[in-house]
Amino acid sequence: MTKVEAIIRPSTFEPVKEALREIGVEGMTVSEVRGHGRQKGHTEVYRGREYSVDFLPKILIEMILPDHLVETVVQAILRTAKTGKIGDGKIFLSPVQDAIRIRNEERGEGAL
Amino acid sequence: MNVSSQTIPPILDGSSLRDFYTAEFARISREFELGGSGSAAARARTDLLDRIIGKLHQFLISRDPFLRQGFSIAAIGGYGRRALFPHSDVDLLLLCENAATERRLRPSFSAISQALWDIPVRVSPATRTLDECGRFKSENAEFTISLLDCRPVAGDSELFGRLHDLVIPKMVAREQRDMLRALYQLTRERHVKHGDTIFCLEPNIKEAPGGLRDCAIARSLALVPWLGHHRPWAEPESLWPAQLREQCLHAFQFLAATRCFLHYRRGRDDNSMTYELQDEAASRAIGLAVKQPVSPEDWMRHYFRNARSIDRLTTLLLEESAPARSSLYANFEGRRSRLSNADFSVARGQIFLRNSAALADHAFLLRPFEFMARHDLSLSGEAQRQIERRVADSPGQLTLSAALWPWFRQILLLPHAARALRAMHAAGLLVALVPEFKLIDALTTRDFYHRYTVDEHSFMTVENLYRLRQPGEDRADWELQYREILDELERPELLFLALLLHDVGKGLPGDNHVEGSLEAADIVLARLSLSSAETETVRFLIASHLEMSRTLQRRDIFNPEEIRSFSQKVGTPERLKMLCLFTYADIRSVNPEALTPWKAEMLWQLYAATENHMNRAVDEERFHGAGAGEQRLQAVAAILSGNAMESRIAAFLDGFPARYLASHSPEEIAAHFQMAQRLAEEPFQIDLTRDRDRYALTLLTRDRPRLLATVVGTLYGWGMSIVKAEAFASTAGIALDTFHFVDLYHTLELNPSERERFRKTLLQTLSGEQSLDAVLARRSRRAPAAPKIHIPTQIRFDDDCSSLSTVLEMVAADRPGLLFQVSSLLSELACNIEIALIDTEGPKAIDVFYLTVQGHKLDAAREKTIEEALRNRIG
Repeated sequence: MTKVEAIIRPSTFEPVKEALREIGVEGMTVSEVRGHGRQKGHTEVYRGREYSVDFLPKILIEMILPDHLVETVVQAILRTAKTGKIGDGKIFLSPVQDAIRIRNEERGEGAL
Repeated sequence: MNVSSQTIPPILDGSSLRDFYTAEFARISREFELGGSGSAAARARTDLLDRIIGKLHQFLISRDPFLRQGFSIAAIGGYGRRALFPHSDVDLLLLCENAATERRLRPSFSAISQALWDIPVRVSPATRTLDECGRFKSENAEFTISLLDCRPVAGDSELFGRLHDLVIPKMVAREQRDMLRALYQLTRERHVKHGDTIFCLEPNIKEAPGGLRDCAIARSLALVPWLGHHRPWAEPESLWPAQLREQCLHAFQFLAATRCFLHYRRGRDDNSMTYELQDEAASRAIGLAVKQPVSPEDWMRHYFRNARSIDRLTTLLLEESAPARSSLYANFEGRRSRLSNADFSVARGQIFLRNSAALADHAFLLRPFEFMARHDLSLSGEAQRQIERRVADSPGQLTLSAALWPWFRQILLLPHAARALRAMHAAGLLVALVPEFKLIDALTTRDFYHRYTVDEHSFMTVENLYRLRQPGEDRADWELQYREILDELERPELLFLALLLHDVGKGLPGDNHVEGSLEAADIVLARLSLSSAETETVRFLIASHLEMSRTLQRRDIFNPEEIRSFSQKVGTPERLKMLCLFTYADIRSVNPEALTPWKAEMLWQLYAATENHMNRAVDEERFHGAGAGEQRLQAVAAILSGNAMESRIAAFLDGFPARYLASHSPEEIAAHFQMAQRLAEEPFQIDLTRDRDRYALTLLTRDRPRLLATVVGTLYGWGMSIVKAEAFASTAGIALDTFHFVDLYHTLELNPSERERFRKTLLQTLSGEQSLDAVLARRSRRAPAAPKIHIPTQIRFDDDCSSLSTVLEMVAADRPGLLFQVSSLLSELACNIEIALIDTEGPKAIDVFYLTVQGHKLDAAREKTIEEALRNRIG
């Protein structure tokens, strides 16, 4: 099993969600986050006051998937979240030791 | 003698206690399912437990005769009220004469509890001596309150009699204030925990405001003051206000049936009315007099109306108990009673009408609510009844019209407007004024996100905006930012009116509620006879109220192109402010968690980026006959009657920034066109009007150098303080400048003839007949008041946002003459002011100038010169 973490633009969340649903991924955890990559934010001026736009709003999607689905999901995210501009986000993959369903204590891929 | 649970011969009518209970429980359930009432089912279970507990007591006595005296079993709480719902806990009082008896009987108490648990019946036993029952402990107030419902079940009746007739009344008489305080505190905490409104879409029908717990509280609130001063006991319901008694008894029947339904359905004491169970309750007509299926929305309307009755009773009793709760409260209310005036007296925070006959005047009907919205008071029960009667006696006569609008508008502008609107709705007045609002009366929205009914959501949007102004130490930065936007609004009443109407369309068939809301709003707005600009603003807000949320979700708000596109949809900074606050309030009122800090910051950043774009890209988007301004052109042509006009109007408008067309109504643009047609006869066209607390001056003339400085200098010389201004020019070289100013010394207001003299002075300075220096020399030398807060001057040049001009943004402490100093300096330094956008934000002047020198942007050296000169001149 693999954990897929995708940090994407908020404006691409709906298309990404729809694409994941089409390939059969229903379970995911979504968080509203802020962050920046190598290109940090900037300072804006509004009516004489400076405000920082350094940590930009992003959406974090976390999924635990059977290994055979991972590349399909990665491709779906790349297809729908990419605009080609700085700030598109990143995808991280990491191995998962086990998964347990609390309701019935089922373990392994069956718990996903 | 020790009695263990194993020795209890669980026998009743030939069956074991468990079997007996199970069979009777099933019988009661069947009777309910066949259409019996909830209160009958609760009473039947009460009787069942009485028999079982009686039997247990008999058995224990047979084994231990000591139990005959000095020990009594009493029902308290819901059991005492004979309202034992299918899976409610059984509240028992095991009453002992003294501590010695209690110690002796402990094993028997365990046996009783164990036997009941084995049935299984969840029992909550409280073991107390007579003395202990006579002491009130605030940390266990619920126990004392439950004693008010006590009833004998088994045991020493003399002992129980002493408790009932002596100990409790004496305690209540002594501890009345603390008991009422505890009742108030417990109720408030519970209400806050459950959303503090009756209009939750999936309510807990026991604990939520207007639920069964409030019914019980209403009994206690009536009984405590009675027992404090009277003997014997009274039926608590008989002590309720007569006009509410019938409704509340009916409401109890409805809620009792609903709770029984929930318990039987779930098999446990779970009182949440989820959407799924609402569907089932509606199809079975649970609690309804007519046993025919209804829609879930209609069933929930029944629920809300019943909850409203209980809530009203509880609120009334809580308020009436207030003086008895606290001497401090009495002091506070003493101060509030000083609000009494010729029309209203105020007592205990409630409004009483001195002369109810005055309600015959429709405008007066709104006055109590205006008073309420201003001072955060409530209507007395008496005033509410008088108003309800008046409303009922005037069907169709109270519709909100132009005559009543000023009063209604005033309510919308007061800090406690939401409270007043809710009270108007409860009295039936809001629907009488705005019949369209009936469409969303207690209307439910079935989705995962919405917590409240549609009408309550609308009230909450108003409330959440005013909450921004309430003091609070832990305010997030973004809340302060929204508050600032709210304080800058010029016509907040239009925003609040739009908020009230924006979801009315949800009560109409069809998927798109926005269209329905617009249709309803058009009818309401027509009755109010608002100006076309005001009507357009309200319509824009309702039509676009989802636009900002959608942009946040689906667009990259850091992409300048997206900002430009959004800016074009919105049109003007004033509309942007309103739409931003609308979106804030709308999201915040879906449920308490809907507006996360993340979302709030994103919304504000979209607002700020759009506002900046609107101010920095004014000359990039100009009218040249087609595009967004075309509709405006057609509207203006329609006013001036004739297609032949359209080309002439187009020629007049050519080159004006799109912002000019967006920020002026078709009527205003038509008037400007007509002014332009008269330029040949009179080269300086001036229009001066009064606009509430300000004046609006429009100047239309051929553009020329120093034009802005001349006008603002004249205004300064006359003691006028400019709060807002816009200066534009068209391709044809027509300058159209509008100024909104405050007459600081009330010259024009107090001396009507001065208006003409003012116009004449302006014409003379513009034509050169009179020098500006002469006008300035005559102005009052009164020194301006020192600014209360220090605002450092900020000067910023932007060469990128406009392709044609250099944009100068200046922020400084506002004072009379500031704009004159700045504009005259820019003219002295050979700058042409292509566009000027002048605004004030409290003590701060925020000015944007689009500058060119000989038709080109400024170079760096000139920018530096200008900045140094400005800082020298204005500080």
